[in-house]
Amino acid sequence: MSSDMKFDQGLTLPEILSGNDLKIMLLPEKVRYSLRIKPSDIAAVNKASGLKLPRKIGGSNLGKDQFVMCLGPDEWFVVANVDARDRLEKIFAKLEKSFTLSITDVSHRNICFGLMGADAVKAVNIGCPLDLSLEHFPVGKVTRTVFESAPIILTRTGEDNFGIECWRSFAPYIRGFFERYATDKAAA
Amino acid sequence: MFLIHCPHCQEDRPEIEFAYAGEAHIVRPGPEQQDAMSDAEWSEFMFIRDNVRGEHCERWWHANGCNMFFNAVRNTVSDKFIKTYKIGHKRPSASQIQKWKDAANG
Amino acid sequence: MGEYRKSGKGRVDHSEAVRFSFDGKSYEGLRGDTVASALMANGVHLLGRSFKYHRPRGAVGVGFEEPNALVTVRRGKGRMTPNLRATALEIYNGMEVTSQNRWPNLNFDIGAFNNTFSAFFPAGFYNKTFMWPKSFWDKVYEPFIRNMAGLGPAPTEPDPDVYASTYAHCDVLIVGAGPAGLAAAIAASKKDQRVVLVDENTELGGSLLGATGATIDGKPSEAWLAKTIKDLDKAQNVTVMTRTSAIGFYHDNFVALSERLTDHVPSLKPGQSREKLHRMRAGRVILAQGAIERPLVFNGNDRPGVMLASAAQTYINRYGVGVGKNIACFTAHDSAYQAVFDLADSNIRVAAIVDARKELAADILAQAQSRGIDVITNAVISKTGGKNRIKSIEVYSPDTGTKRQVNCDALLMSGGWTPSLHLWSHSKGSIKWDAATKVYLPDQANENCVCIGACNGDFGIKTALNAGSKAAGGRKSYKVEEADFGQGQIFDQLPNYIAPQKTKAFVDFQNDVTDKDIKLAVREGFKSIEHVKRYTTNGMATDQGKTSNLNALEIASKALGKDAPQVGLTTFRPPYTPTTFGAICGYRTDDLFEVTRKTPIDPWAESQGAVFEPVGIWRRAWYFPKPGEDMHAAVARECKATRDSLGIFDASTLGKIEVVGPDAAKFMNIMYTNPWSKLGVGACRYGLMLREDGYIYDDGVVGRLAEDRFHVTTTTGGAPRVYRHMEDYLQTEFPELEVWLTSTTEQWSVIALNGPNARKLIEPFVEGIDLSPESFPHMAVREGKICGVPTRLFRVSFSGELGFEVNVPAHFGKYVWETLFEAGQKYDITPYGTETMHVLRAEKGFIIVGQDTDGTVTPHDAGMSWIVSKKKKDFVGKRSLQRSDLVAEGRKHLIGLLTDDPNVVLEEGAQIVTDPNQPIPMDMLGHVTSSYWSEALGRSIAMALVRDGFNRMDEELYIPMPGGVNHKAKVVKPMFYDPKGERLNVL
Ligand SMILES: [Zn+2]
Repeated sequence: MSSDMKFDQGLTLPEILSGNDLKIMLLPEKVRYSLRIKPSDIAAVNKASGLKLPRKIGGSNLGKDQFVMCLGPDEWFVVANVDARDRLEKIFAKLEKSFTLSITDVSHRNICFGLMGADAVKAVNIGCPLDLSLEHFPVGKVTRTVFESAPIILTRTGEDNFGIECWRSFAPYIRGFFERYATDKAAA
Repeated sequence: MFLIHCPHCQEDRPEIEFAYAGEAHIVRPGPEQQDAMSDAEWSEFMFIRDNVRGEHCERWWHANGCNMFFNAVRNTVSDKFIKTYKIGHKRPSASQIQKWKDAANG
Repeated sequence: MGEYRKSGKGRVDHSEAVRFSFDGKSYEGLRGDTVASALMANGVHLLGRSFKYHRPRGAVGVGFEEPNALVTVRRGKGRMTPNLRATALEIYNGMEVTSQNRWPNLNFDIGAFNNTFSAFFPAGFYNKTFMWPKSFWDKVYEPFIRNMAGLGPAPTEPDPDVYASTYAHCDVLIVGAGPAGLAAAIAASKKDQRVVLVDENTELGGSLLGATGATIDGKPSEAWLAKTIKDLDKAQNVTVMTRTSAIGFYHDNFVALSERLTDHVPSLKPGQSREKLHRMRAGRVILAQGAIERPLVFNGNDRPGVMLASAAQTYINRYGVGVGKNIACFTAHDSAYQAVFDLADSNIRVAAIVDARKELAADILAQAQSRGIDVITNAVISKTGGKNRIKSIEVYSPDTGTKRQVNCDALLMSGGWTPSLHLWSHSKGSIKWDAATKVYLPDQANENCVCIGACNGDFGIKTALNAGSKAAGGRKSYKVEEADFGQGQIFDQLPNYIAPQKTKAFVDFQNDVTDKDIKLAVREGFKSIEHVKRYTTNGMATDQGKTSNLNALEIASKALGKDAPQVGLTTFRPPYTPTTFGAICGYRTDDLFEVTRKTPIDPWAESQGAVFEPVGIWRRAWYFPKPGEDMHAAVARECKATRDSLGIFDASTLGKIEVVGPDAAKFMNIMYTNPWSKLGVGACRYGLMLREDGYIYDDGVVGRLAEDRFHVTTTTGGAPRVYRHMEDYLQTEFPELEVWLTSTTEQWSVIALNGPNARKLIEPFVEGIDLSPESFPHMAVREGKICGVPTRLFRVSFSGELGFEVNVPAHFGKYVWETLFEAGQKYDITPYGTETMHVLRAEKGFIIVGQDTDGTVTPHDAGMSWIVSKKKKDFVGKRSLQRSDLVAEGRKHLIGLLTDDPNVVLEEGAQIVTDPNQPIPMDMLGHVTSSYWSEALGRSIAMALVRDGFNRMDEELYIPMPGGVNHKAKVVKPMFYDPKGERLNVL
């Protein structure tokens, strides 16, 4: 049996909405890690790992196949393509030997929606209470926040590009809002 | 819905991301201290709170944010936050609170 | 075209007729009309019946402040909206409008007998009359009140409409698009900021829509308005929202805006939202809500055709509708004169202007005389005539005692102006009493918010425009030519020669409160306006007293002999305008009303016909009935199959927290009652967590994966609070510990396999783990692979049978479940739900936190003293367990109960006594916490919290039930099945 048949994010349609000014997708399989590191070790960890962990809460670094975010004073979140798994796990194994830290694999805990297009800000704001003007939420900013009653991680990778990471069981709820928003847009 | 300034995130964030966590600056006694405390003293620590009318030092948790607990001075009559600060800082004095209020009022 | 329409006049589209119906009769209006303006154009003033006395009523106002003209609109199945203000309701082709609170019809209303007998319905009538006997309340009084006193009927069908909601942000929010708000928007648009301008009306302009004749910057006000609207439309940084009510002002400039999207549209598109709630956070709020004209309180002031002067002025100027052909006016304020002049200039006859004031400015008098209008000063209206429409007024001059009848078909009234302070007050801005004009005005702001124009007591177009510009940081000084707004005098009471008991002067039109009701309330001892309000219901109707509050205050303060500020002002509360529940919910309806969390295996359970139950916000499979089975039969079968061979259970909802770091064991020692330092890597231990007060908080099995890594499980509902509890202690009390917590609840799907064949089932699928009992004993955890995917495999049991909990990454959960289920067919593998899980654990006496404990149960009370470390120096709850109360004799203990009759399954929650024949109230010893039919034992079993239970072993107790049945049961140890635990060791 192929890995595809085993893998099931619970939501079957990859695309929720596809239009010129808004496209909402369900992202394919990713690996995810929660990193907890003493703030005093960041420089050394960065040097040893090349992970480019941002120092400031809300900061992020988007690489070729990985996305590193700072969510709290001692908390980082790494999302990467599946084929980066081995490389990352080697790095983590090395770090675990020389630093006091915590690395936990949460690859399957989350699901990620990708939102693209001129209407992406509006779509995020139907459930997220943050001010998403570029002044307050610039490209590259990430944060844990809420989408209505669901806890999420919101990421902005472009003026019109957002990611919403949520725990698996909250995904249908969030998707439900996007579907109603899409119906609204179609009717308006 | 308040905007609350998280001292870790260093920005104003909507109240819905936070959870209230009771009165601040109540230190849990260590094990030796616990053993030395009478039931009455222990009950005082466990159950008795100030219920201030006015400036109240209290704890908040940025649960859907940076995940940090922090402290705040808030006026329980106007509901206004006067200042938020990280855990580990001492309970602010009355004059310190006044300074913060003056600064907030320009 | 209606006979009261003035050809070509107003802002309505005279080229586009719109047909609608009112009470089944078809009428023609024009595009841009409201129901009220269109009906008035056709000479219809009678729009409804009043709330209490069923008196005929017409529109008093012209917008959202309207207290009287409430109507119902029907537009197909389920789409029935009562209590809409006809004065703010746009007509469309085919609209069906009906009047309210009348039976059998509007012109002949049986309920009007309330009016005839109104002497028997004074303030507090309902409170005083319908109070005894108690049994009459449900059957007689309440149905009577509900039938008689009414607004429109509540809809009986589900609302087929959908609603939208969003968060939004701006730098400047301007509420109200009259001259002040427009000038503010123009000034704000010139800066680099996000500006939002909202107005309840269909078009921008506010008072400019109703009053004509002024020039602004050299242009007629209409032209200036048109240009301003165009400019705002062009400004990229300005969002203009019409048909949008600012309904509530909350902390830190959070303002709820309700936008009406389709109520004015003739045909609805499927899926289109009817309304949208904008949860707006503004940097600064500029309130430009204007002022509302005050009615005068005089005998017969509620007859259809009696209306606010500014309303009549707006009907002629905005809608091109004359409210009558021969009008009269009763005023105490100069502003009404301009209204009368506008009507007179449209060729409407003016019978008389009655002014309650003694003197009048000469220029106003001159303007009236130049139009040939008869002005009677120092006079009042002592009564009005006409049935369903005003026909005449009686003018009474108190100084001379003369009376004179004047015929008219409409009466304009003005008692001055009330600044709209609603949102300002929501924001907790303070207000001050202005003794000169007898109104409350904004004082100190509590938010970054300012009131400008008429809502700040600054009347006149020029004043408003300049205030608007200034408020938004502009410096424009507008050149305006306008009629002087003038001044007025406030009268608490108008003299009348008719005895008070024979008069009816309304203060609150919607709730039918008269001046006499307010005076009666004062006589009966109510001294605060808040109490007067509740006793008389003044200001408590859907219009929130927009037109009545200050008149009521004036009358009450006079009756009390106090100044108005000493009597107070009632509190303004959201919503400012009645708002649908649909708008308040927005998208959050049906499946989005609240989160329902489902596990990766949930779709499989659903496909198997599982019955679900909510646990916290999770939905879990409760049991899996086969065709023809009820719950009892299904659960009995599931239990038996599991004990006999193999059961499979979805335990994915268990909370999971990964505790990692060199101080992980130290931290676990603090958080749980039992010790963790010596737990070997690869071993599991059951942990019990207390709150600091010593009571049981949560429990679960914990596996040690490495020296510095624990896999902690929590109860399903307890996961969030346990995580918080741990973070709290870690961050605030033990920040020196080097340990971190990560929630991994949803990282893992958990498949629990229980039964003698559990090991046999998984053996062929497991790689890298020796499953033999010697190397993988009970209470152990191993990492390896199952079905080709990574697993954390726990050998644990919550059933007493040989058990495994297969943890696999969540997105593989369904695949592994299906693979194991298929392979399990040869063992008759049986899926079971939470009910069977509960029965199996109860047979073993395992507790469910929150069911067998209730937040007042200590480990000792639960019979679990064994799990409380005596050696550890500290853990959360340790000191409290030594409190005298918690070690006292006679606490409730968790024990088992076996009923005398093995077929009786006790009710959970049932109370327990020693003697069922003792007098009531009985001495209750405790209650049943868990109770089930045990298929394995062929009888019922129960657990209970009973006072001093441990010392009552073998004692017989009684469980009295409603209907006189007393069940007898024996106290036993709560361990019913396989007490030695031998079944765990099946090979
Ligand atoms: Zn924060």
